[in-house]
Amino acid sequence: MIAELFLSGIVVWLAGAMASLALWRQPAAARRVTCGAALAGSLLDLAASAAAIFSGSPAVIGLPFGNPVFTWAVRLDPLSAYFNVTLAVLAAAVSLYSFGYLREMEGRRNLGAFGFFFNLLLLSLALVFTASNAFFFLVAWEVMALSSFFLISFEHEKEKTRNAGVLFLIMSHAGSGLMLIAFLVLASASGSLDFSSFHLLASRMPALQQGVVFLLFLFGFGVKAGLVPLHIWLPEAHPVAPSNVSALMSGIVIKTGIYGMARVFFDFYGAPPVWMGTVVLAIGVASALLGVLYALMEHDLKRLLAWHSIENIGIILMGFGAALMFRALGHGNLAALALIAALYHTFNHAMFKGLLFLGAGSVVQATHTRNMEKMGGLIRRMPVTALCFLVGAVAISGLPPLNGFVSEWLTYQALLAGFGTTQSLTRLMFPIAGSLLALTAALAAACFVKAFAIPFLALPRSAEAAEAREASFPMRAGMAVLAVGCVALGLGATWFVRVFDPITQQALGVRASSALVMARGLALSPGTAHGGTISTAGIALIFLLAGAAFAVPLAMRWSRRSVKGPVWDCGLPGLTADNEYTATAFSKPLRMIFSALYRPRREIQAEFEVSPHYPSAIRFESEIELTFEKRLYGPLRERIMAMANRMKGIQAGSINVYLAYIFITLILLLLFGVRG
Amino acid sequence: MKPFLDMQLGDRIVTLMAALVLVLQIAMVTQRWIVVHIRIFAAQSLFLAMIAATIAWFNHAPHIYAAAALTVVVKVILVPILFERLVVRMKIHEEIEPIVNVPISVVISGGLTLVGYVVAESFYRPEMPGLGHNALAVAISLFLIGFFNMINRRKALTQVLALLSLENGLFLAAISLTYGMPLIVELGIFFDVLVAAMVLGILVYRIRETFESMDVSRLRRLRG
Repeated sequence: MIAELFLSGIVVWLAGAMASLALWRQPAAARRVTCGAALAGSLLDLAASAAAIFSGSPAVIGLPFGNPVFTWAVRLDPLSAYFNVTLAVLAAAVSLYSFGYLREMEGRRNLGAFGFFFNLLLLSLALVFTASNAFFFLVAWEVMALSSFFLISFEHEKEKTRNAGVLFLIMSHAGSGLMLIAFLVLASASGSLDFSSFHLLASRMPALQQGVVFLLFLFGFGVKAGLVPLHIWLPEAHPVAPSNVSALMSGIVIKTGIYGMARVFFDFYGAPPVWMGTVVLAIGVASALLGVLYALMEHDLKRLLAWHSIENIGIILMGFGAALMFRALGHGNLAALALIAALYHTFNHAMFKGLLFLGAGSVVQATHTRNMEKMGGLIRRMPVTALCFLVGAVAISGLPPLNGFVSEWLTYQALLAGFGTTQSLTRLMFPIAGSLLALTAALAAACFVKAFAIPFLALPRSAEAAEAREASFPMRAGMAVLAVGCVALGLGATWFVRVFDPITQQALGVRASSALVMARGLALSPGTAHGGTISTAGIALIFLLAGAAFAVPLAMRWSRRSVKGPVWDCGLPGLTADNEYTATAFSKPLRMIFSALYRPRREIQAEFEVSPHYPSAIRFESEIELTFEKRLYGPLRERIMAMANRMKGIQAGSINVYLAYIFITLILLLLFGVRG
Repeated sequence: MKPFLDMQLGDRIVTLMAALVLVLQIAMVTQRWIVVHIRIFAAQSLFLAMIAATIAWFNHAPHIYAAAALTVVVKVILVPILFERLVVRMKIHEEIEPIVNVPISVVISGGLTLVGYVVAESFYRPEMPGLGHNALAVAISLFLIGFFNMINRRKALTQVLALLSLENGLFLAAISLTYGMPLIVELGIFFDVLVAAMVLGILVYRIRETFESMDVSRLRRLRG
């Protein structure tokens, strides 16, 4: 049953891809087919994978294609199924949204091509999460990377878009190269390419090899996940893609890196040495902190969200790192707690980041700009979008009672419990990581005060913002699905943690949910000695009661006439939208505090006509330095170019010379083969 | 007749023919006239077809006859005719100017034959009966010498001829090791050769039109 559902999902996506390509001349039909197939495929996939999580034994499905080197088989074990559920829920909401979002592009862009790559992306994602051997995994991985590339480059007439696409492609291939090497090392150790043969294999390898494979996988998958310092493609590629694609990219495509790490760290490795967990934890902390710090300085709404993806990947990695360390130190229950926190956050991030990107897409489509400083006052013109965006903002800031709070709280609890698990100095990592996680969450909340207030509150700052129209019905529906998801995953946390039982059972041999759920499913606790207890439902109830306490008297007074008056303007009449608080001003204190990182540069030029006291125009420029781009990738690029120039010598341009290269290589290989 | 004797006789015939094929390959390296070069190739292919037929007879593998027949049709008749016409039509200068001079080329070919035997030796299993031993060594040598010949030629047409003689080596290796691949694979390969010859023929023509010469070293201009 699971197999049939999964396969029919795949087939529907494939058919959708082909049909929309065939319909490229009829944009309206292409749009309907694209979104309809994507939605139907997602629902089928959702049904299959939700059933697979609880089905006890993993479903193995052979695909009906022949190949002598490897088998085209997928395996829906609990971990794969969990990521597939994430994919399916997000993809369903995004497809719904796309019904409305793509309408604007009808007749102006090739929706047939868009639909082809869109469905292909969903298809390849489902296969990446389920492929059961290394080669098939890599094939699916490349299809995913290429279809993402084409979707990112969809608005290819802009140079920035093309550059971002190429950067994505280069980074992605560098990552695949690392992964390929790591898989080949594993395959040569096990003699097979099947994932099942890799199970616990890495731990049987020599320590050095084990470490190298670990780092190869960490950085190979890290490119896609967007770890610092491999993150540079994210803030370039996510903003330029169409917004529904950004939602998928940020919500699920970068999660393929997380899936890969989970698969490798918790399936291929048995009990890895402590340093591996420490490295992952440290990288997680760095990604979370740097991601949010750069997000704070960003005024491009979608770029800001892209930086937050880096932050959230960092939080997920903190959970992974802690889980690995606990496992190495022999604390199975804590490892399960940290793993649950990380995977929970993965799902949550897909929900709220998808929601935020969809909201940003609605705003950008209505105002035709990504610059927050040109928006403003949208809450009156786009109330539903504003409400959904607010839900997403609250969730990503880790405020109770929404889902972001639950998973970040679980991560804290895991980190706080870590201090007592060992006597060595590594235990210091835990409180440090915990406090930096707290800082990250606080900065994220500050950032989303800005990201919500500047575009949605106050007066419109531009004519486009003043004329913005609410998003169409399918777009609102798509956002609402994800908003409901954010609320449900927050309030229903005690119910949802049971989903992780089969996963932790498989990865760590522990079923943790019964220890986590307290008070008959009303409260959540980490199950550790000095851990706290929370109840999102309880918090929500308190909020409701407190809100009612304010709202009831207000409503009773509502019958009296409310009076609207002008804002006090210090006696200078004529306050306009130009006098409003800006995003730049809002983030100024943090720019000053962290100026060692940002190295801000600003330039003020005034033009005078009559007197130096009355400038006729003032030009203000402010920018920050992107440290990694400048200090790491700048020199690296120069080095590569210099090396390429030197390599030019080999390229003689003569067929005979090229043939001679091949010939000499061949002879050497033959002789080498005979000796060996 | 006992099958064992039968086998030994077959082995001798195949070895003899293989030796002839190898000699012709080296003759191609030394050859300075393009038309003679083409005819040597035709002769070589003919011997190859005979090897295939011999193997088919002694191993009772009738489908190799088809491969042999195809070799005759494609490599002994069609390709040489095609190329000789090309030579006439395009008024190609008939003398080949190799990069390495002829005596040294022959020495190198001898060295490559040695490499071929060394490599083939490692595949040799005395307990495995068959016609393969010498034929495999010859096949690898054919391949290597053909490759060297390709490097050693300036004109596209002669490089194509070298490529086809290289392909003869592959064919010999295939039939001597496996006593014939499935017929469908053989058919594919022959179709490939024919198409390659035609495409390369057209390409040669184009190179000639564009650069007023068939000298591939002119392609150097395409370098960025």
